[in-house]
Amino acid sequence: MNAIAQDEAAVVIIGSGAGGGTMAYELTKAGIPCVLLEAGQHFKLDDWTNDEWEAFGQMAWLDKRTTSGSWRVAKDFSGLPAWLVKAVGGTTTHWAGATPRFLDYEFKARSTYGEVEGATLLDWPITLDDMAPYYDAAEKAIGSTHLHGRPPLPANNNYKVFANGAERVGYKKYATGPYGTNAEPYDGRPGSIQDGFNFQGDKHGSKWSTLVREVPRAVETGLCDLRPQSHAVKITHDASGKADAVIYVDKDGNLQRQSAKAVCVAGNSIETARLLLLSDSAMFPNGLANSSDQVGRNYMRHLTGSMYAWFDKPVNMFRGETMAGIIKDEVLHNPDRGFVGGYYMETLSLGPAFLAAFIEPGSWGPEFANWMDNYQNMAGMWIVGEDMPQATNRVTLSDSVDQWGLPAANVHFDDHPNDIAMREYAYEKAEALYNAVGAVGTHRTPPYPSTHNLGTCRMSANPEDGVVDKWGRAHDVPNLFVSDGAVMTTGAAANPTLTIVAHAIRQAEYLAGELKAGNI
Amino acid sequence: MGVSRRFVLFGTAAAAALTASLPSRISAKTVAVSGDAEIKGRLMRMVKVAFPHAQFPDSCYERNCDAVLAAASADPGKVVMFHQGMSDLKSAGFDGMDDAAALAHLKSIEGSEFFQLMRGTTIVTLYNDHEVWDILGYEGASFDQGGYINRGFNDLDWLPEPRITEL
Repeated sequence: MNAIAQDEAAVVIIGSGAGGGTMAYELTKAGIPCVLLEAGQHFKLDDWTNDEWEAFGQMAWLDKRTTSGSWRVAKDFSGLPAWLVKAVGGTTTHWAGATPRFLDYEFKARSTYGEVEGATLLDWPITLDDMAPYYDAAEKAIGSTHLHGRPPLPANNNYKVFANGAERVGYKKYATGPYGTNAEPYDGRPGSIQDGFNFQGDKHGSKWSTLVREVPRAVETGLCDLRPQSHAVKITHDASGKADAVIYVDKDGNLQRQSAKAVCVAGNSIETARLLLLSDSAMFPNGLANSSDQVGRNYMRHLTGSMYAWFDKPVNMFRGETMAGIIKDEVLHNPDRGFVGGYYMETLSLGPAFLAAFIEPGSWGPEFANWMDNYQNMAGMWIVGEDMPQATNRVTLSDSVDQWGLPAANVHFDDHPNDIAMREYAYEKAEALYNAVGAVGTHRTPPYPSTHNLGTCRMSANPEDGVVDKWGRAHDVPNLFVSDGAVMTTGAAANPTLTIVAHAIRQAEYLAGELKAGNI
Repeated sequence: MGVSRRFVLFGTAAAAALTASLPSRISAKTVAVSGDAEIKGRLMRMVKVAFPHAQFPDSCYERNCDAVLAAASADPGKVVMFHQGMSDLKSAGFDGMDDAAALAHLKSIEGSEFFQLMRGTTIVTLYNDHEVWDILGYEGASFDQGGYINRGFNDLDWLPEPRITEL
C-alpha cells in the first residue's frame, strides 16, 4: 500500500470519478503523491450485477438528500434529485458513454445568446482552443470511438430505428459515437460484447471508467494512497486562509484528519457545493471559497427528456450498447426555433424494471400496461440539451441531516422558460423521427433524476461572478481546486464526462507546474 | 435492497412522506396484515385491474400480491391503513364491479395512501419479476451469456442498414 502519513501535507483529492480519478492519475504520473478519498466502496468488475434494481441498491448515492422547486423530480422522487454513484470510479462506473465535445459557441454562451431574462449566462474564461489539446488527450484516455484511429461501434437494433428515422426527417449528423466503449480491444481493455448493461457497472471492462483505468494506474505509480469509504465532511484552513486539511469519516464511523498542501474537490456538483458550504469558519462564514455567494448557485442538470416509440415489429432495444447512437443536427444556436442553445438526441434503453418506474412516474392503468406489453417493440432516445443557469437553481444545506448528522444537500430547481421551449421542440422532433419509420405510438417521458449535475462552483474571469478561476482554482483560496463538473460556467448541450476529464487533465498539468515551481 | 426501501424512493411524494415519518426499523413485528383468502382475492383483483396484462399468469400477480402484503405489514400504521383501504373497497361493492367500474373506482381513490402502497410496490415488483420479463421478451442478465454480440444485438431486419459514421 502506498501509505501517506496523515500528518504529511499531501495533495488531497476528494472523489474518484471522472474529475478526481483523472486528477489522481495525472498528478501521480507527474510524480506528485496524492491521497484519494472516496466515500464509496471499492467494487471490482465481478461485483457488478446485470440487474437494474439490484445494481441501483449497490451503486447509487442514496445518502439523504432533499428537493424543492417546481421541477417534476421533486414531486416524483423527492429524496432522489440525482442518480449518481457512490463507489470508487464514481459516476463513471455507470455513465452511458457518449463523448461529444462542447462547441466553440457554447464556451461563449453570454456573447452568443445575449441577455436571456432570468438566466445568469456568462462566457467561460477559457475557449475551445484552450481546451482542444486536452479534449484530444481525454478522447485518447477514454478511447472514444470514431476518433484518433478508434473504429466505430456497429449499429444495434435501437440505433437502426433511430438512424433510419434521422435519415428520413433529413438529419445528416448521426453516428454510433463518439462513445466511450471499445469497439475492438484498446488500451488493455477488450472490445464490446454488446451486453446492454451500462448503468449497472460494466462487468466486461470494455467501457472506460476511472475504476478500470485512472485509479488503478494511479495506485500502480506507488504514489496514490486510495482510501475508499472515506467520506469528506470538512476542509479546514490555516490562519492565512489556505486549506490545510480534510476531515473525513472512515468506514468505521471515526473522524480522521489528513493534512493537505492542496485540496482538489471532485464530489460531483451536489456534494462538492455541499462540502464547501459545510466548511464554513469565522474567516469564511458563508462557506469556504464563497465570498461571492456563488457556491451552490447556477446548478444545471441539462434539459433532458426521453421519447419512447412503439412499432408493429420487434426492436429489442435492450440488446447492445445503450447510448451508441447520437444525432448532432440540433446542436446549434438558432433562436428561430424559439429558444437559445441546442440539444443532442441519443439512443437510450431501459429494462422493464426501470421503464415501469420512469416512463411516466405515477402512471398505472390499461394504457400503462399496454406500453409494457409492447416492450419488445419499443425504441427509445434521450434528449440532452443546454439548460439555462439561474441564480436560484441552487444546492443549499438542508434542514435534514445525513447518516453522520451533517446537513444534507437540498437541490432546488425550476425550469427556465427556455428549457421548457427547447424540451417541447425536441419532443416534437423526436416524435417526427419515430413517426417517419412507422411508429404506432410514442410517449414523452419527463426528465429522470439528474445524471448530469453541473455548475455549482462555476468558473469566472471576475471573482464576483463565480467560485473558481480559469484553472478551476478557488478565487478565495489559492490551494483549493474544484475538479469536477461543478466548474462549468454554462452546461453546453454535450454529455459532460469528456469535458470533466479534459478539464481535469488541464488542471492537473497546471497544478503540477505550480507545485514544482513552489508556488503552492 | 428490500421492497420497502425502494418504495420510499419511488412511491409518490405523499407516500414517501408518510413512510419517511415512520421509524425505519420496527424491532419486534407484532402485527401483520391478514393474508386470508378474502383479502388476497380482493388485492389480486385490484392489481389486475390497475395493471391489466392478459398474458401474465396468476403466478406473477400472486408473487406481486405477496410483496404488497409484506409492504403493508411493515409497521402497525400501514397495517391499519391497509385494512381500512380493503374494508372501504368492500363497502364500495368493489368485489361485484365489472372491470370498467372497478377501474373507475380505483381512479377515484388513486391519491390515497392505500392505493399508492399497492401501486408503488407493484411498479418495483411486478416488472422486476423474471417470469414477466420472459413474457415481455426481455432477456435479463446477458454478460454471463457473452452479451448479445452473437445473440441478436443487430438482428432488426425491417429497416435498411444505416450508416454508422457521419458523412
